[in-house]
Amino acid sequence: MKKFNFLHYIITSSIFLIFALNIFHFNTFAVEPDEFLIDKKQESRARDISKKIRCLICQNQSIDDSEAQIAKDLRSIIRVKILEGKKDDEIYKFLTDRYGDFVLLSPPIKKSTYALWFLPFIFSVMGLITIFRHNYKSQKKK
Amino acid sequence: MSKKIFLLLVFAFFFVIAIFFYLLVIERDPSNLPSQLIEKKVPIFNSKLLFNSEEFISTSEFKNNITVVNFFATWCAPCRDEHKYIIELSKDSSIKIIGINYKDNPNKAIVWLKELKNPYFKVITDPKGKIAIDWGVYGIPETFLVNSKGIIKYKHVGPINKIIYRKFIKKISMLKKNEKI
Repeated sequence: MKKFNFLHYIITSSIFLIFALNIFHFNTFAVEPDEFLIDKKQESRARDISKKIRCLICQNQSIDDSEAQIAKDLRSIIRVKILEGKKDDEIYKFLTDRYGDFVLLSPPIKKSTYALWFLPFIFSVMGLITIFRHNYKSQKKK
Repeated sequence: MSKKIFLLLVFAFFFVIAIFFYLLVIERDPSNLPSQLIEKKVPIFNSKLLFNSEEFISTSEFKNNITVVNFFATWCAPCRDEHKYIIELSKDSSIKIIGINYKDNPNKAIVWLKELKNPYFKVITDPKGKIAIDWGVYGIPETFLVNSKGIIKYKHVGPINKIIYRKFIKKISMLKKNEKI
């Protein structure tokens, strides 16, 4: 019985730790001060776009987080485009025309990705229906 | 009736799981990304040439010949390794090889090409990596195969080795066959 308590303690504390680390997660970013745009609104737009663009070398990092050279280049090109007065959509299009949809961290919703986006919902609805039916049937038996 | 539907659902569920594990288990190289530019026209760009600082205008190039475009730099070690294969490719006089010197010191590049031989028909400088972004390049060396109509047909990311070299030779001979017809 004691052994179980010890295990229990470890599991709960590690779960707690995971959440705690997430709450106090410091937003470490790789953008260097010389890259900042003077206009704060434009700068925050640039940051928002960068957070949604994948670094093609580190792949699971956004270019906002990555210190890879290509990430830096893409960040600066996003800022240049903003200064040129381009809209967000135009900037995303500029990037996907060159690097494909893969450059977006969340895949766009289109025909080829319908399964990816909607299957989880379909499965969870199916699961709920199965559970309810099961419960309904077993209650009837009583 | 409902049992049949239930069985079907279970089957569908396990089918999806099986696909998931299949994709997890098969050997695939995550750095091998699909290129957006295949079957598209070459990007338009202007820049200075490395050797005589003349202007290079892309629209007057990429015609009449099959072209190989190779992004390289002196600071890139794998570029040195693949250089002999590019020299090999350049022995075919019917294809043009264009080198794009990516984020490099031009003087160093000239010395480097003198040392290793210059297989390039033209060497273009890309000091800030802007041309590379237009070509969807994310890590050099990268090599593109362009047909005589200026359409990008094939792309390889990483150094050319023996196997990749053979692939290029195959693709080039296929392009030649197609263009004769």
